[in-house]
Amino acid sequence: MTGPILEIRELRAGYGPRTVLENISMTLAAGDWFVLLGPNGCGKSTLLDCVVSRLPPSGGEIRIAGHSLRTDPYEAKLQLGYGCAPDVLPGLLTARQCLEVHAGAKGMTAIGDDLFALADELKFTAYLESFVDTLSLGTRQKLAVLLALVGDPQLIVLDEAFNGLDPASALVLKRHLRTRIERRRGALLLATHSLDIVEHYADRAAVLIDGRLKHAWSKDELQQLRANGGDFEAALAEAIGEPES
Amino acid sequence: MTAPRLAAAKLIRLNRRTHVIVRIVAVLLCLGTLLALFWAERDSVAPALKWLRLHGLLCAALAAIASAFLIARRRALKRAEYARSWLAAVPVRSSTARWESLAIETLPAVAAIGVLGVLSLACALLLALAGANMPGSGRAVIFTPLAIAAYLGGGIAAGIIGSYLVPQPKPVILPPGSRYVPHQRVRRDKGVRPSLRALGAWPVRQMFAWAQPKIVSRASIPILVMMPMGTTADAAMVAIALAGTLGALVLLWSAVIFASRAARGWLAPLPARRGVVIRAFLLPACAVIVAAGATEALLLLVFDVSYRTSALLGACTAAIGCSTVGAALVWNLRPRRAP
Repeated sequence: MTGPILEIRELRAGYGPRTVLENISMTLAAGDWFVLLGPNGCGKSTLLDCVVSRLPPSGGEIRIAGHSLRTDPYEAKLQLGYGCAPDVLPGLLTARQCLEVHAGAKGMTAIGDDLFALADELKFTAYLESFVDTLSLGTRQKLAVLLALVGDPQLIVLDEAFNGLDPASALVLKRHLRTRIERRRGALLLATHSLDIVEHYADRAAVLIDGRLKHAWSKDELQQLRANGGDFEAALAEAIGEPES
Repeated sequence: MTAPRLAAAKLIRLNRRTHVIVRIVAVLLCLGTLLALFWAERDSVAPALKWLRLHGLLCAALAAIASAFLIARRRALKRAEYARSWLAAVPVRSSTARWESLAIETLPAVAAIGVLGVLSLACALLLALAGANMPGSGRAVIFTPLAIAAYLGGGIAAGIIGSYLVPQPKPVILPPGSRYVPHQRVRRDKGVRPSLRALGAWPVRQMFAWAQPKIVSRASIPILVMMPMGTTADAAMVAIALAGTLGALVLLWSAVIFASRAARGWLAPLPARRGVVIRAFLLPACAVIVAAGATEALLLLVFDVSYRTSALLGACTAAIGCSTVGAALVWNLRPRRAP
């Protein structure tokens, strides 16, 4: 696979008459950890919903690993892993059954050992037989991320995936994701407010304001910022045109 | 400073103004249906009204007891809700807080008195229109609904005062739905077996989760009350079993709709074919519905209904249940279209 893992061209989306995203274009190459930043209500989750097929866009094109989400959704979704919000998970299925459904939908015959190793590292294995409605927010968050990794997808899409996780688990997960996308030559699209991820893990980042990509940092720009001991908060404030305090 | 909870409730109602017309039409339709039934059955209703008027004091006492317990319960619930509400920290004068609480806690009782008044007036008008055709016609009959409404309304009003004497009930905290779900524990060493089979278990589990023992026991009270005097224990048990079977079917039907709607967002990013997902949901639900239909037929047989009729009713229940569940699944899991 040499082409981009995710390709978004002139995407437009909204809810009813309200347009939330306007003319969004971006690509994620193999090995990219892409962080999407932006204020509340700017359209980050809407963009992710379009990418994972939860919201049909009103215009534009999304391709995952070369497959169009509109014309070839099955093949596109085979390469996609999405960590949904914890409240979307079915309360009356056990964690094991959620994994079974995800693996079954992807036509797998077994789940890889690396996923169980991660579950062990996240101290999740003990909850495999528990019903989702008895799990705490952080434990559900872990399950949502594990579900996103079922089938070793090329594109991993996570929305605020580190919310509710304890610092140790968050660190384990960040390192695992870094290793996984490098090994798999996949890509990760993460919407977050957490600047420490941009500081330590991201290859590229972009800020979304009022449904438009206002500014994007390339790999080199981020590395330069890191090398200069850069202040990411200041860089973000400058990008969105906020006066520095 | 206005009453914050009432002000918030008013704003919520304003935001839902698009549904107001629908609600008004629904209420008017219900009222119209009730009055039409009353008109159609006016000859047989008159003796019942007469009986109710003769036992007006008993009716008032029963209304007072029911109203007192229900309002005391509502008070406990609303107070617990308010303590956790987003308005809990808003400063409110104690006098405002008192009348606001009173208004919120007694709202259903006051509404019931209002509805009783409207219904009794409408019935009195219908009786006046019926005129000479009514058995025991005359002014006394026409005023009977008004007298009954006065007894019941008075009882409910007395219940509002009496509710302060009822010990405050404990707030009901329902456990997670999975507490009541039968589930076979899987051995730890057993690996994950990829399959969509678990989707089929979801609606059945949802049915068990909704049918919590407390809710079932409360639902069976009206059935017991409706049993005529002199009903044998055997007949009562069969009637309860029949009601339970039909109740389970209604719950399962609602559970399939609920689960398929909830699954839509969860499963959207997965490459599962729509037909396969629908089949995974449908098969266990249909198996339960067919079993319920067979149980219904057996129970009807016990009630001395003929073989043919019992089998026909059981088959009808199963067919209607399966087809409506299938239609609901097809509709809820339809592909999304761009706006």
